[in-house]
Amino acid sequence: MEKTILVGGKAQQGTGITSNFLGRIFCRLGYYVFNYRDYPSLITGGHNFNVLRVSDKQIFSHENQCDVIVALDQETIDLHQKDLKKSGFILGRQGLKSPKLRPIEAVPILERLKLAPVFENNILIGWLFKYLGADKEFLFKEAEKQFGEKSERVISTLQAGYDLNKDFFSENKFKKIKGEKHLISGNEAISLGALASGIDICFGYPMTPATPILKFLSKKQIQEDILVSQLENEIAVINAALGASFGGAKTMVATSGGGFALMTEAVSLAGMAELPVVIYLGQRMGPSTGVPTYTGQGDLKFALNAGQGEFLRIVSAPGDPEEAIQRTEEAFYLASKYRTPAIILGDKHLGESGYSFDQIKNSETPNKRFIVKNPPENYKSYKISENGISPQAVPGQGPVVRASSYEHNEHGNSAEDAASVAKMNEKRSRKLKYLEKEIPKMTPVKIYGKGKNLIVSWGSTKGAILDSLSELPDFRFLQICYINPFPQKEVAREIKRSKRVILVENNLTGLLGQVIRENTGLLLENKILKYDARPFTPGYLIKEIRRKR
Amino acid sequence: MNAKDLGTKEKITWCPGCPNFSMLEAFKEAIVELVDKNKIETKNIVMATGIGCHGKFFDYLNLNGFYCLHGRLLPTALGIKLSNPTLTVFGVGGDGDTYAEGVDHFIHACRNNADLKLIVHNNQVFALTVGQATPTSEKGFVGTTNPLGVKEKPLNPLALALVSGASFVARGFALEKEHLKGLICQAAEHKGFAFIDVLQPCLVFHNVIPYLQKNIYKLDENHNSADFNLALEKAKEWDLSFDKDSKIPIGLFYKTEKPVFDDGFPQKKVWYKKERKIDWKNLTKNF
Repeated sequence: MEKTILVGGKAQQGTGITSNFLGRIFCRLGYYVFNYRDYPSLITGGHNFNVLRVSDKQIFSHENQCDVIVALDQETIDLHQKDLKKSGFILGRQGLKSPKLRPIEAVPILERLKLAPVFENNILIGWLFKYLGADKEFLFKEAEKQFGEKSERVISTLQAGYDLNKDFFSENKFKKIKGEKHLISGNEAISLGALASGIDICFGYPMTPATPILKFLSKKQIQEDILVSQLENEIAVINAALGASFGGAKTMVATSGGGFALMTEAVSLAGMAELPVVIYLGQRMGPSTGVPTYTGQGDLKFALNAGQGEFLRIVSAPGDPEEAIQRTEEAFYLASKYRTPAIILGDKHLGESGYSFDQIKNSETPNKRFIVKNPPENYKSYKISENGISPQAVPGQGPVVRASSYEHNEHGNSAEDAASVAKMNEKRSRKLKYLEKEIPKMTPVKIYGKGKNLIVSWGSTKGAILDSLSELPDFRFLQICYINPFPQKEVAREIKRSKRVILVENNLTGLLGQVIRENTGLLLENKILKYDARPFTPGYLIKEIRRKR
Repeated sequence: MNAKDLGTKEKITWCPGCPNFSMLEAFKEAIVELVDKNKIETKNIVMATGIGCHGKFFDYLNLNGFYCLHGRLLPTALGIKLSNPTLTVFGVGGDGDTYAEGVDHFIHACRNNADLKLIVHNNQVFALTVGQATPTSEKGFVGTTNPLGVKEKPLNPLALALVSGASFVARGFALEKEHLKGLICQAAEHKGFAFIDVLQPCLVFHNVIPYLQKNIYKLDENHNSADFNLALEKAKEWDLSFDKDSKIPIGLFYKTEKPVFDDGFPQKKVWYKKERKIDWKNLTKNF
């Protein structure tokens, strides 16, 4: 059983909140949802829409064709009427124009209840759930959970809408089914992953689509006993994070491509000074300012090569919020253990879409601190060791502790002589060798399905690809989760044992394909690339893959 | 404690006679005094240095230290301080560092008043890159990359600090070691952002020692350092130029009490000592 509901309106009309609320009610009823958010870069007005797909099976993507349009303005109807299925209808206030409109007389209700126009959304929600045959108690319970003090007013409007629908009911009833589901976005998942890892300090500077992480963590800072601070720019942000890391705090920064570009000199500093830092890079379509509120996967090679010089950059790419939690925990663990920057590559689609799960799980990744207890008097910040890792002590413990952007000796003092420079480069590079042994334990690749042909991709395209596989029985899906260290053996093996291989990426030039070639020598010529700043949908992908046959 | 104990075995590579030697001694002696008077503990001192001749403090001082990126010592120092409020963090920067590459951080450090100390070695030239103009080079200065000479008037660091909201603004002279030491001690004891611009002429690329020695005078006890307008007036007394003689005040220009950035976080603590127990169920209960 499945339905797709589009909620559209102007910014500030609450399309996002409404769609999220709808999604949460469905989750409470036991259904899986996927919520896609589409909004332009403006504050008030314009056109925002959310596509909420609901199903009794687990789903990770949306389709553009919908069963119901909840229209908060005429523009929503004008723009999306074409995507309405034949059996579908539009829900909206009296006065909107469409042959498919089910007009709702919201104004008299709002006047009677003395409530602002934005409460109209709840009247529509109440009406819709009556149509869907859901027990209204679930609406009210979710309203209480989400809206706190405001919930009484929300409930009164939900009730009014529910009562208003006396004669229009769906054939498929959304009765309560077993088990509640949990709705979570990628950005929330990254934030939770950071908290699960024991983050102490987060510095940030707002940039779409990573700002929600800063918002989430800053709101929780007292309750969770962490420190979150917005600084003057991304350069300050990452340098402050490295200062804090030097002081022994677990730190993360979250940004998008432009902010990350400003950070890159300090990413290199993290490599040289060997300071742990976790960087979440939420991609949007570039280059430059690009398409700020839309998605893209154009920064893969940028992340792999960020910062001058040669040093270890760990780069992982979660494909959904559950993985985002896991990869964030791993990023903290690996960054702390190997004293190096770890970059988590996400994007707008992963970050701002809502996904549903039976349970929100964290991973088994240890979240201990790697700071040495009681460092000896002759402690050396950059002690040469077999695996390249020098145990990290922090200022205040007693011995002198150093961090340097210059090449240095074991004590951290500047060194320019040939032998020292070579020795330190070798020490740092040994960390990669050691890490390569640990990465296989972290599911660096995942394989779905059993077909003889292969789809290869990374990151947020996972959702649409997974949801396409049932229609593509000849295909398996290889998801590459660690880009560095690159799971070269596993990737080469899967490609070689497949009859046909298709690369799928949300970018212009097939960056993962280039990385695969660099690491395995294998050239993937068959590509489906989407660079219109919109995510893949299963419908689009299946059509494109069939066209390639 | 002895000043010698603060040194390292590193070979000092400053030019012979460089005023940096005097500054290094002033800094060491200030630390000795602060430690001897139990104002701070050596293990809790951290210096964050920029890139340039001044940055060699890092190699010559046996203290906790972070050799930062050029221009970025202030945000790095802020991060250090927020990671552990028991640390006393001394930023040591140059004029290129502080007034060119990192001038944005400087303005914000003055404005937010985090509990950091900043000592700027202002030699009015990029010395380690062998002679280019910085924002404090005087009009007409000819460096290796501007043979036509600097066209603008120099930036006035003290005035900029004052109008940006700094709570402690001072100027020292590298060759007035005792006076400078006194300023460093006062800065260390100031709660909030304490800024000392130190005139530290470069013997090779910007030797203005005779001019400075002739015109410098010390602000005395008659100077009211609580008076903002007076401080601004004193800051503007010399415009960092050398075309005609002008009196150059050194000393503590301005000092006031302001809310400190770090105190805006009631949860601040020594984070690495915090033991966390993650309550995953509670974290995810609202999803």
